[in-house]
Amino acid sequence: MGTPCFKIAMALVASVALMGVSGCSKKSVQSGGDTQSSRQGSAAKSGSTEGSKSGVGNFPDTSMQSEGSGLRGLDKNPSEEHVASGFGASPAGASAGMGGSLLAKADPSDAASRQLDEMRAEQAASASAGLRDVYFGYDSWTISEDQRQALTRDADWMKTNPVAMVKVEGHCDERGTTAYNLVLGEKRAKAVRNFLVELGISANRLSVVSYGKERPSCAEHAESCYQQNRRGHLVVKSGK
Amino acid sequence: MNRRIVLSLVLSGLCLLAAAAGILESDAADVFLEATRPDFQKIPLGVVSIENNGGPDWLGGRLEEVLKKDVKRSLVFELMDLPSLGIKVRDVGNGYGNGSKAVFKQAAENGVSVLVWGKAGLKKGEKEDDVNMEGFVYDSGSDEIVGGKRYAGSPSVVRLMAHRFADELVFRYTGEPGIARTKIAYVSAHGAARELFVMDYDGYDARQLTADGFLNLMPRWSPDRRFLVFTAYRDRNTQDIDMIELATGKRWTLVSYGGLNITPALSPDGNFLAFASSHEGNSELYRLDTRTKAVQRLTTNPAGELSPSWSPTGRELAFVSDRGGGPQVFLMSSDGSNVRRLTFEGDYNAAPAWSPRGNWIAYVCRTPRKEYKLCVISPDGQKRMQLTTGGGIDDSPSWSPDGRHLAFSSTADGKSHIYMIDADGKDLERLTFEGSHNSAPSWSPAS
Repeated sequence: MGTPCFKIAMALVASVALMGVSGCSKKSVQSGGDTQSSRQGSAAKSGSTEGSKSGVGNFPDTSMQSEGSGLRGLDKNPSEEHVASGFGASPAGASAGMGGSLLAKADPSDAASRQLDEMRAEQAASASAGLRDVYFGYDSWTISEDQRQALTRDADWMKTNPVAMVKVEGHCDERGTTAYNLVLGEKRAKAVRNFLVELGISANRLSVVSYGKERPSCAEHAESCYQQNRRGHLVVKSGK
Repeated sequence: MNRRIVLSLVLSGLCLLAAAAGILESDAADVFLEATRPDFQKIPLGVVSIENNGGPDWLGGRLEEVLKKDVKRSLVFELMDLPSLGIKVRDVGNGYGNGSKAVFKQAAENGVSVLVWGKAGLKKGEKEDDVNMEGFVYDSGSDEIVGGKRYAGSPSVVRLMAHRFADELVFRYTGEPGIARTKIAYVSAHGAARELFVMDYDGYDARQLTADGFLNLMPRWSPDRRFLVFTAYRDRNTQDIDMIELATGKRWTLVSYGGLNITPALSPDGNFLAFASSHEGNSELYRLDTRTKAVQRLTTNPAGELSPSWSPTGRELAFVSDRGGGPQVFLMSSDGSNVRRLTFEGDYNAAPAWSPRGNWIAYVCRTPRKEYKLCVISPDGQKRMQLTTGGGIDDSPSWSPDGRHLAFSSTADGKSHIYMIDADGKDLERLTFEGSHNSAPSWSPAS
């Protein structure tokens, strides 16, 4: 495809890419540099420990089983089919093993209340530390001049509190797809982490997580809110 | 000779004018018009009635209403308005009386190919009073009652009876299973959390599947409909790719690398899980063999790759990469080779979904006015069409298994809700009305 339109489009894309890259060449990292330290010393994850399979757990077979459609076709002398609401592969006319119950009920797990407690503790610790958030432009993960001040203060706090571990959360405004915003949020969080490392903070004190657009701090469909949501949010990790 | 030249010139001039006039008359600057031909002519079908035969008052009417909507949504049948054709809607019994013969004759004369009617009533059971439904189908082409169905079950599955009957009609006339019994998994806000839900394809009977209290995102079905794979935030700080068994609620962790583990997608044969993970630097695509548990890395680009979508043969993947600066849709073989770019219009194209028919890839396209809309593009990149317009943020297109509909989320009505739309952009229908942040719909395979 060598049409003029294509060439113009590629030129535009290339120039946008250049603009995006130039601002963060020093501070952000595309690949490499994200080693085991980013796992933040978390406990061994579930799953097997064999080489290429680490990080992958055991789970039931998801291979397609040969399965009729469950439809029997129209009959001139139809016999009665018992209808029960079931999920997955139960064939037509299966007796009501499930009866009226459709799905396993979602019981609130202990995890839910534990999460809340941990989040409250983190909020309290972060508030007393006075850590400042970093804000980003639309589609962007570069740290602008006016944001560097806030980050420098955060770095100073971390230097005077040498045992504190800090998590950087990457967030996005509501525009764009859920999936790509998770990647964009991670780019933002990593940009903040890398900047702090440049300022002398040890990388193993910093972890990153992306929430994409799933945990916004405000909900209005307006730029004033969007600006608040495009942020790297620093959290003092409680406990370890 | 001269006159023929002049005549042909005049004719071609007129043709050009006509074509130009056609282009000028086309509407809506940001909707790309394209002629879409239906695969076949819709079959004219009329639902005479489902008569109450002793059951609760609402029974016949409910079955009739659900059946009619299913028939209409199938896009296989043209739902005929029988009263407007002068066909008297009456109880045709079992179809063998004189009254029913008259109705059949009228139907045939008015071009109605298929007539459907039935009755429903109460069936005394040991524990609970079941309801039963009997449906009949007359085909005017062969001038005979081609068959019917009989169903029984608790009143709580009445909608499912109608759905089942509708699917049988589609199966009879197309050989395909029909979508009336399919489900849509999705994400909904539960407090500040995001949890997984499943509802009927028409928005009814929503059920909550998880209650973890944080973020569960982007569910996708296994091909046998027994499981969902999804991204679960463990301890708020890392993501895993989990699997949940719908019938039991049992959970397994499939992938738990450090960093992002997102956008899981099982292959059509269930043998591979494609997913994105950033544990080796930035977000890359991987393929997990679900039988051997071996993981193969598919992409090695310094840019971010995510959102894999399998072709219906399982031989190719559509995915998103921002190697060009912003997200664009790419294609590659399912072993990572033969990468080529698919989208070239616009600076933000993401969330690809490959139709089960193989002929279109739906995705989110950002317009020059920075609106996030739904587009479709052919796998060879030659045809492209924008399906939705307006100011809402549209996201996460997911195809119905018959390839005729898309489910997606949109903030068009203020909050994010789930909608369905035909593959040609018609018949927009809202599916969720409660809750908030209803998003990430995934349409189940047919059963």
